[in-house]
Amino acid sequence: MTSFTLLLPNPRPLRLPLPLFSGKVAAGFPSPADDYVEKTLDLNELLVQKPAATFFVRAQGESMLGAGIHPDDILVVDRSLEPVAGKIVICALNGELTVKRLARGNGQWQLRAENPAYPDIAVHEDLEMVIWGVVTNVIHAL
Amino acid sequence: MQTRIALVDCNNFYVSCERVFRPDLIGKPVAVLSNNDGCIVARSKEVKDLGIKMGVPLFQVQQLVNRHKIHLFSSNYTLYANMSARVMATLEAFAPSMEVYSIDEAFLDLTGVCPSDPIAYGLLIKKAVFRATGIPVCVGMGPTKTLAKLANFAAKKWPKTQGVVDLSDPERREKLLRIVPVGEVWGIGRRTGAKLDKLGIHSAWDLARQPEKRIHTLFTVVLARTVMELNGTSCLALDEIAPDKQQIICSRSFKQPITDFEGLMRALARFCARAAEKLRHQQALSHRVTVFIRTSPFKPDAPHYERAASQHLALPSQDTRHLLTVTRQLLAAIFKPGYHYQKAGIQLDHFQPITEKQQLDLFAPFGADPNRVNNTALMSAMDQVNRRFPHAITLAATGLVASTSSQGAVSPQYTTSWRDLPKVTCQ
Repeated sequence: MTSFTLLLPNPRPLRLPLPLFSGKVAAGFPSPADDYVEKTLDLNELLVQKPAATFFVRAQGESMLGAGIHPDDILVVDRSLEPVAGKIVICALNGELTVKRLARGNGQWQLRAENPAYPDIAVHEDLEMVIWGVVTNVIHAL
Repeated sequence: MQTRIALVDCNNFYVSCERVFRPDLIGKPVAVLSNNDGCIVARSKEVKDLGIKMGVPLFQVQQLVNRHKIHLFSSNYTLYANMSARVMATLEAFAPSMEVYSIDEAFLDLTGVCPSDPIAYGLLIKKAVFRATGIPVCVGMGPTKTLAKLANFAAKKWPKTQGVVDLSDPERREKLLRIVPVGEVWGIGRRTGAKLDKLGIHSAWDLARQPEKRIHTLFTVVLARTVMELNGTSCLALDEIAPDKQQIICSRSFKQPITDFEGLMRALARFCARAAEKLRHQQALSHRVTVFIRTSPFKPDAPHYERAASQHLALPSQDTRHLLTVTRQLLAAIFKPGYHYQKAGIQLDHFQPITEKQQLDLFAPFGADPNRVNNTALMSAMDQVNRRFPHAITLAATGLVASTSSQGAVSPQYTTSWRDLPKVTCQ
């Protein structure tokens, strides 16, 4: 039978313990620095401000290379952020989730690709209905 | 200060979860199917408008599905649970206390939070949840839980409310109660509704005007409380902590009917193992095991058979092995060959906390050893291993292939699997 586990959106995110600093294990006098090892670094802390509103998505295509987004990169998207001009956003265009840069021009909202081959798209509907979320970070494997 | 309770309820929750990641399906008919794709358990507005009712078996509406190109999803509970947790986490910020009532509803205590403009506050909640999660909700408010629930019904039903209704004002309340059928009041099932109807109580307003004593005598104290709640006197407190379940049911319909005893037993063994695991999770022992089996109610031509059997346990148990033994005995008692069994299940109830000192049963077999029916250490070791490595340890009785459920069109695990992340195009 299928079962499911309730997955909470990490109110206290899973800690990834990367010790900032630790003394060598020695069979003698303990390192005087050991007393200061208390903080570990957690990438969630750096990348996720609002766990309930944060989604990860995977990028496809090359039109946003200029913004540092490569194919297969993972984008961190915060849906709760106010979309403002200049931000990279995920938008629902023609039923598809698409990455664009939000811009303001000719007195209206525009969606731009970082690629001159693609024309700017003017937003005529309610911005709220078009913008899916604001991209805050790119996770790119080298 | 007047109490103000809000009920926040997600619109067509399972459908909305699917649409968050499939914007192409916004405005199109979408339905979600039950566990093994048997029945329709969630419908978009477009599907409701076609007259397709909640819970109908898929085969009964297959023609409509084809004709209107209704997009069907198998249920993806991992996704729904994750989206639900996001909705609840967002709601937490809006009230000092909150009761998560179900996967898609929560009561918030807004007493003193927004005295001047509750509607504006409701709109704020609605907007914040949609913004954070993409899930549309409606907000109903009132001085009691029952009225908040009713306000929510109104908010859903009439679009011009913008999805937020407040019933604090008695005049407004009366207006609504007069047009709402009594069957829509929280806690009134079909049978009670019919009985009320016979007594000439048709609308929620009719019920609110009944003397509590009369309702108490004719029905139950619970319904008498509903009358008080409809009149603005709060009788039901907010349960901030979900109470432990008083019964655990694990059951499933089979896509292919099962005809043999061992086949049914294998399915029941899996349900039993799952139920026992849940029981241990809430630190309880069960005093009673019930097994039920039935043929399909939707095949009038095939011979119908339906039976349930219960056994009281002399010594309460949470041990899968002991519960399996009982399950097998019960199945043997009710199983009849020659039928096409379409559903089976197990229910555990009459719980006691494991910490409670065990009262030995006077009629327990002499020398009955509590440890034989309850090896706590063994079971907790098994649960721990299974939590880290799902299905690593199963009892042989459950069989080798765990495939009672068949799902055709389950969506990706968008929010819980790196491999299933939503794809976004750069073009």
